[in-house]
Amino acid sequence: MTESPKNTESPKNTESPKNTETPKSTGPLARYRDSRKERIDALAQLSARDRSAEPVQVTTGAGGTGPATPDHLTVTESGAIQEAPGVSLWASAWRRLRRNPVFIVGAVITAVFVVVAVFAPWLAPKDPTIGYLIDEVRPQTNPVPGPQPGFPLGADDRGRDLLSRLIVGSRQTLIVGVLATLGGFVGGLILGTLAGAFGGWVDSFVMRLVDVMLSIPSLILALSISALASEPSQWTLIIAIGVVQIPIFARLLRGSLLAQRSSDHVLAARALGIRRGPIIFRHMLPNALAPVIVQATLMLAVAIIDAAALSFLGLGNPDQRIPEWGQMLGQSRQFFYSHPQLAIYPAICIIIVALGFTLMGESTREALDPRSRR
Amino acid sequence: MSMVDDARLDSQASDADVLLRVEGIKVHFPIKRGIFFDKTIGHVYAVDGVDLQIRRGETYGLVGESGCGKSTLGRAILNLEHPTEGHVRFDGVDIASLKGEDLRRKRQDLQMVFQDPLSSLDPRQSVESILVEGMKAHGIAKDAKEARPRLRELLQAVGLPIQALSKYPHEFSGGQRQRIGIARALSVNPKLIVADEPVSALDVSVQAQVINLLADLQEEFGLTYLVIAHDLAVVRHISDRIGVMYLGAIAEEAPAAELYETPLHPYTRALLSAVPIPDPVVEDTREQILLTGDLPSPSAPPAGCRFHTRCPWRQPTRCEDERPALRVVEIDGVTAEHKVACHWAEQIHSGELQPHAVEPVAVDPSALSGNVEPVAIDASPLGPDGRRTP
Amino acid sequence: MAYSSTRPVADRDRPLLSVEDLTVTFGRQGEEPFRAVDGVSFTVRPGQTVGLVGESGCGKSVTSLAIMGLLPKRGNTVGGRVDFEGTDLLSLGDAELRNRRGKDLAMVFQDPLSSLNPVVPVGLQVTEVLERHRGMSRKAAMPVAADLLSRVGIPDPNRRVKDYPHQMSGGMRQRALVAIALACAPRLLIADEPTTALDVTIQAQILALLKELVEETGTALIMITHDLGVVAGLCDEVNVLYGGRIVERGPRHPIFREPRHPYTNGLLDSIPRLDTVGERLTPIPGSVADNLPWDHACAFAPRCSQPVEICTQTTPDLVTNGDRALRCHNPVEVPR
Repeated sequence: MTESPKNTESPKNTESPKNTETPKSTGPLARYRDSRKERIDALAQLSARDRSAEPVQVTTGAGGTGPATPDHLTVTESGAIQEAPGVSLWASAWRRLRRNPVFIVGAVITAVFVVVAVFAPWLAPKDPTIGYLIDEVRPQTNPVPGPQPGFPLGADDRGRDLLSRLIVGSRQTLIVGVLATLGGFVGGLILGTLAGAFGGWVDSFVMRLVDVMLSIPSLILALSISALASEPSQWTLIIAIGVVQIPIFARLLRGSLLAQRSSDHVLAARALGIRRGPIIFRHMLPNALAPVIVQATLMLAVAIIDAAALSFLGLGNPDQRIPEWGQMLGQSRQFFYSHPQLAIYPAICIIIVALGFTLMGESTREALDPRSRR
Repeated sequence: MSMVDDARLDSQASDADVLLRVEGIKVHFPIKRGIFFDKTIGHVYAVDGVDLQIRRGETYGLVGESGCGKSTLGRAILNLEHPTEGHVRFDGVDIASLKGEDLRRKRQDLQMVFQDPLSSLDPRQSVESILVEGMKAHGIAKDAKEARPRLRELLQAVGLPIQALSKYPHEFSGGQRQRIGIARALSVNPKLIVADEPVSALDVSVQAQVINLLADLQEEFGLTYLVIAHDLAVVRHISDRIGVMYLGAIAEEAPAAELYETPLHPYTRALLSAVPIPDPVVEDTREQILLTGDLPSPSAPPAGCRFHTRCPWRQPTRCEDERPALRVVEIDGVTAEHKVACHWAEQIHSGELQPHAVEPVAVDPSALSGNVEPVAIDASPLGPDGRRTP
Repeated sequence: MAYSSTRPVADRDRPLLSVEDLTVTFGRQGEEPFRAVDGVSFTVRPGQTVGLVGESGCGKSVTSLAIMGLLPKRGNTVGGRVDFEGTDLLSLGDAELRNRRGKDLAMVFQDPLSSLNPVVPVGLQVTEVLERHRGMSRKAAMPVAADLLSRVGIPDPNRRVKDYPHQMSGGMRQRALVAIALACAPRLLIADEPTTALDVTIQAQILALLKELVEETGTALIMITHDLGVVAGLCDEVNVLYGGRIVERGPRHPIFREPRHPYTNGLLDSIPRLDTVGERLTPIPGSVADNLPWDHACAFAPRCSQPVEICTQTTPDLVTNGDRALRCHNPVEVPR
């Protein structure tokens, strides 16, 4: 079994160098090849003799227990390979993730949030735009109606059901967060790939641009972008937050791609004669993407907080009929001291959702880390 | 493999015999500094003028210590690192001047086996996709289905079971991964394989598997090898001819057995004497030539003979100002295959020149110009003559 | 000489260090525990060089870390005894152990760059040890540090003490590490693959240095390596490890002349030797991934060249015979 498995048939492909050389039977080359073959054959015989001679003598020492080297006890030369089908990196990362309680908590929070957002109109007990309790609002004595039957969290200063507004508000938060991050991700992907895959002056140009963007504090940049718009809407919010995220994704992806570009497996692909496109899109990008995807989950949390912050500052959607957590937070300003619940409930929602995405992102990062692979 | 039939492989090898001819190849990496504009403030002379020829079907071993430029030379031959100067003629075609699609197509003939079998395999590719990719790129097979019989053949050739196809690199042991790397190189029917430290990342017991495999495959597919390694014992075992590299240039070139029996260059002598041999009897009796000091920085190689800063046979004339060329020496028992780049090879061989103490020179690897100023120390921990006889 | 031992050299036949039944088990909660070191016992006498040889994953490095008390606090359990001149090192607290390390036991690691603090000059890293264990002032320690650097063969030590690790070559860094290890004249030096990251010519320098230091100072040395060539030139006694257990032990000459364990024999067969003409090598098949658990078998059985049925059924015991010891059901009988 220690004999290496030999391929007895020669390759059928006519391009084999061996076959192209065969016609030239005379000349120095053929002489050399023949001498070489003889030499190797002699060596092979020599080593074969050595190996067959040894074990027979040896086993007699152990009290003559059976013939030498029972085959079923040993492995083949290359070592054993498990029969089970192969498990890709993502699959093995998923296996680790599935058992990680941190990931499960994050995923459950995120799943609940998404379900609530999608089915908000059906889940909300009341219409979030109608001031049911407007009659109870007294600007001097009772500006914000408290909890009462049918209104478990009470109402806001216009008599609208707070619970329903929170539930429906999750929609806007999800749309803004996801679309903004998606925009940042795609923008970063394009810029990062340009810079990382091509290098040279493209890289320098893109990266200086990115550096300039990064040097401005993100919230101020988002503020200025949304202030540029003639009238604030949820789209200016999405664009502002998305643009702020572009340089972060671009820089991360570029660094990751640069590491890939100098890696051995990319060099191996070049040496193999793979075309440039497939090398970038099949070898470099998929391997560089893992940290970026992790970052995207973390950025979702940041986007939700940024959206809340911008809405709070009045740069979000001014339309009162479409509730949004940040906007709710902003409007609760004047009642901070007397009725903190108006601020606390949306704030808790923002924190929990952001936490959910962060937990998910962090545990995914851990699972994809090659050092934690077993 | 290591014995060369000198009668048939004499130095008048016809052009048809030579598969690869490297002529005056240089690879210089610019060292750049600057905030706005990168200014070139120096060069790393990684490979600085190498000539070598590899014949069809032979194994050429390139040996040297880290930083000597052997890996860069290997990559320059494959044009993975574009040479600054010089030609690489492969079957008459100058690889160094090829670009774009021509170069890509030519890559089919020259393949590479890497040192680290894990990092050289894409972690997201299954073995099947790793092996099929090259075949597709060179039109050997259109898809995995068409490649199936050949995949089976490849795996069999490298000693892996067919189940390996659906697995991913991280599911194999080091030796198995290196077999996959070798199968990938074979997948496009190359003529020459450049193996850069093919066994040094593997466990000792597994190294022999891969060494034997390389030998078997050479016989089976009629391959030509350029094996780059730091381990002289491995190189000697698998090579027909060996080139010893020091600081970007070849110091000595000879058939494997001859290099071991009559090393002519002082560096080769020191290198051979430094390799530990797993036999206490040999270890207790053999004479070691201990080199002092460090390898000079390749960004500021010494003038004259590159080795003169550490050479125990250094002479006051020629060594410091005249760069020795690789030449054939006239010494009894030394064939015309044996070339050495030393001014005093004959005198050293005859014993006319004796080794002397060398003041060790410390080299600051972070310094750009690597200012080489010899400094004497009071108490040498080594023997007074730079040698050591246990 | 600054580093030469001031203590009288103790009785050379009494063991300085005796490791008894050392077991290190790794494993976090909910994971299957992995026994990296499995009942390893050996002794080291003053002035003796003992080799621990084996491939990656054989437990040789974990053994040395366990002796030094350098294993991480969590995630592993250490059992057995590490007796150093009558004290069980495993029972010592952190503070006591820290006092012992550097003074009585010192260690040289494989990678000299990551073992040195990159932001502290090398000379200062030597004086730190002197200040801590010998109570010297920095001023008094500086010339001693320079002297140490010069003793390990670093040229122009007075200038080099101010150098940072990145300003030194790999060989010089490893010399500096040896200087730090020797600063307090330890009685036991553990060298964990000290030359693996170095070139052969530099390796020869470092090995010569270690050999000389052992001869001159009477320091005992535990040499951990995968390279049988290094062992052949340096060690008085050789322990061959496989799968966390010692499979064979013997003095240097006999173990290379007449290896009894098929693993030792197989290793010697599989290494290409510089001084022999290249005939085909005989590799050991498979890899450590093919090992059997030691519990009811010999771990090496699947890769063995001469297994018998009992090898996959019963764990072989380590049988001592004079200065040789062997763990095998079917040992090699033919001298090489």
